[in-house]
Amino acid sequence: MKWEKLGKIFDPTKYKLANNCFEFAQSPQTLVFDTFVRIYFSTREKDKTGKYLSHVSFIEMDKKFKKVFNVSTNTIIKLGGLGCFDEHGIFPINVLRDNDRILAYTSGWNRKVSVSVDASIGLAISYDDGLTFQKVGTGPVLTSSLHEPFLVGDGFVVKYGTSYHMWYVYGSRWIKDSTERDPQRVYKIVHAISNDGVSWERDGKHIILDKLNEDECQALPSVIHFNNRFHMVFCYRHAIGFRKIKDNGYRLGYAYSDDLIQWIRDDEKLGIDLTEGSWDSDMMCYPHIFRCDDKIYLLYNGNEFGRYGFGLAVLEEELV
Amino acid sequence: MFKWKKLGKVFDPTEVKDKSWLHEYAQAPSVLIFDKYVRVYFSCRPKPDERGQYVSYSAFVDLNRYNLFEILNISKEPILKLGDLGTFDEFGTYPVSVIRNDNECYVYYTGHTRCESVPFNTAIGLAISDNNGETFNKVGSGPVLSYSPNEPFTLSGPKIRKFNNLWYLWYIAGSKWITTSEKPELIYRIRMATSKDGFNWLKLDRNVIEGKLGENEVQASPDVFFYEGGFHMFFCYMVTPDFRRNKDKTYRIGYAYSTDLTNWVRDDSKAGIDISQEGWDSEMVAYPHVFKLDGKVYMFYLGNQVGRFGFGLAQLEMTLN
Repeated sequence: MKWEKLGKIFDPTKYKLANNCFEFAQSPQTLVFDTFVRIYFSTREKDKTGKYLSHVSFIEMDKKFKKVFNVSTNTIIKLGGLGCFDEHGIFPINVLRDNDRILAYTSGWNRKVSVSVDASIGLAISYDDGLTFQKVGTGPVLTSSLHEPFLVGDGFVVKYGTSYHMWYVYGSRWIKDSTERDPQRVYKIVHAISNDGVSWERDGKHIILDKLNEDECQALPSVIHFNNRFHMVFCYRHAIGFRKIKDNGYRLGYAYSDDLIQWIRDDEKLGIDLTEGSWDSDMMCYPHIFRCDDKIYLLYNGNEFGRYGFGLAVLEEELV
Repeated sequence: MFKWKKLGKVFDPTEVKDKSWLHEYAQAPSVLIFDKYVRVYFSCRPKPDERGQYVSYSAFVDLNRYNLFEILNISKEPILKLGDLGTFDEFGTYPVSVIRNDNECYVYYTGHTRCESVPFNTAIGLAISDNNGETFNKVGSGPVLSYSPNEPFTLSGPKIRKFNNLWYLWYIAGSKWITTSEKPELIYRIRMATSKDGFNWLKLDRNVIEGKLGENEVQASPDVFFYEGGFHMFFCYMVTPDFRRNKDKTYRIGYAYSTDLTNWVRDDSKAGIDISQEGWDSEMVAYPHVFKLDGKVYMFYLGNQVGRFGFGLAQLEMTLN
């Protein structure tokens, strides 16, 4: 593939956001309308203990991605109540149209004691074109199970025919390392299928081969079909030192499939990488691949996990 | 109604001196019956850590089948290890419910983890024994029954049964944490699920036992047995957080009956067991487990301080229609 980078298109520190959020616009994901594109993302406030809470927000842009003409000033989805899986944040959020509804798959975060957090995937539904969402219950639709013990998140759902397909991640272990203050997690990409979007069948099988080592962390799978093939963009990093050591930080990975089951990883084929001296010089993460009119675009975060926003690239390849 | 004759306390964990992991508590007793002995599983705790926090283990004591007050054996080690860093059962494996399945024993147990905004979270795990229930190997590092939209947290207290080739799991699920002047307190109610294989569960997804003490009633230990043509459930219930200060609001044993295992009619007046005037069960009666043995029906249950000093036995004297 060949991409043209269009640069950073949104910086959250330049706008007033709901819920006292002041930095971070992570994991941008789109809902495309006839005349504009809405981009959902997760942004952060600090609670009274100084820890972050992630909230969902959105912006709206023209279809050439030249201008932000609306920034949400409302709460899109409330955080969960005391003890709920999404009490301490929702990050990321994946939205899709399903007939007259918009489904939102949320990754909810809850703080723990021996390790920092756990996560599960919730479902919320909108009947007003994605302006507000009502949660399906106070608990998650996808969470820990026998062979997927914790950190179930990053759900990305596509409906093909009558089946809902979800790509997501789960944590397989926590690592203690002398160079890190807290335990660090390892998580991998997996797949689930559903007939109703609520009950999911899963097999826990890692579908993307590790490239770095067995502790490679894989996140944010984003899947699209074009030119007679399924394409997945995701991000991956080392388990340790990924915050401070550039070489250990997030990069974008790529895999393709002809049957939605077997995926062939080939990061070289993606054809996009860091740009020296730019907003994405150290890190690229949380990709979202989508179609808008007749073009394929890639949204992603750059340095510092998207503290200062997200950027866009457009595919130069011809669509068949 | 049922009428129970109390036979006294059977096992006091504080009398066991050589096991650091069995310092006190013998909670949630349940049995597995052998030719010559009755194995009673229970859950116990070592001394709390420097911050006053407990972990919990599960173990068993073997009682002479022909004299349930005679202890023949105590498990050498806990039947389950605690989970690894970050897993659902890192800080406790309590309580347990064991059932035979062909030549193996399956244990359904509650795994405990610790949280920041609330004291804990729990989910239900599965482990299998090939040595008659002495030790168990976990089927996975995660839970077999976990959270869902209408059961958002704290699944606990499993009781496993098989009727007509179907597996039944009664358990409790939290619906709400309520804030108090001290730590948050949990509201939990009895739920159930069914399975064809013991691994994949279909939740009924509603409360099974009607409440009678208002919205802060909590229910635990849903213990089902088949007797005289019907299904009977003994359980315990109380009001939170009132039970912390008011002895009259602590656990009492309730009762419900059913003809189809799904729809239950509560009638606590038929339970036929209550607190004693004095002694080890003068403040509460809790965590009932009913079983048949050699033509008689017995109940193990907990007394004061929810089994801190052990469990006792009652025998069914009669039933009156």
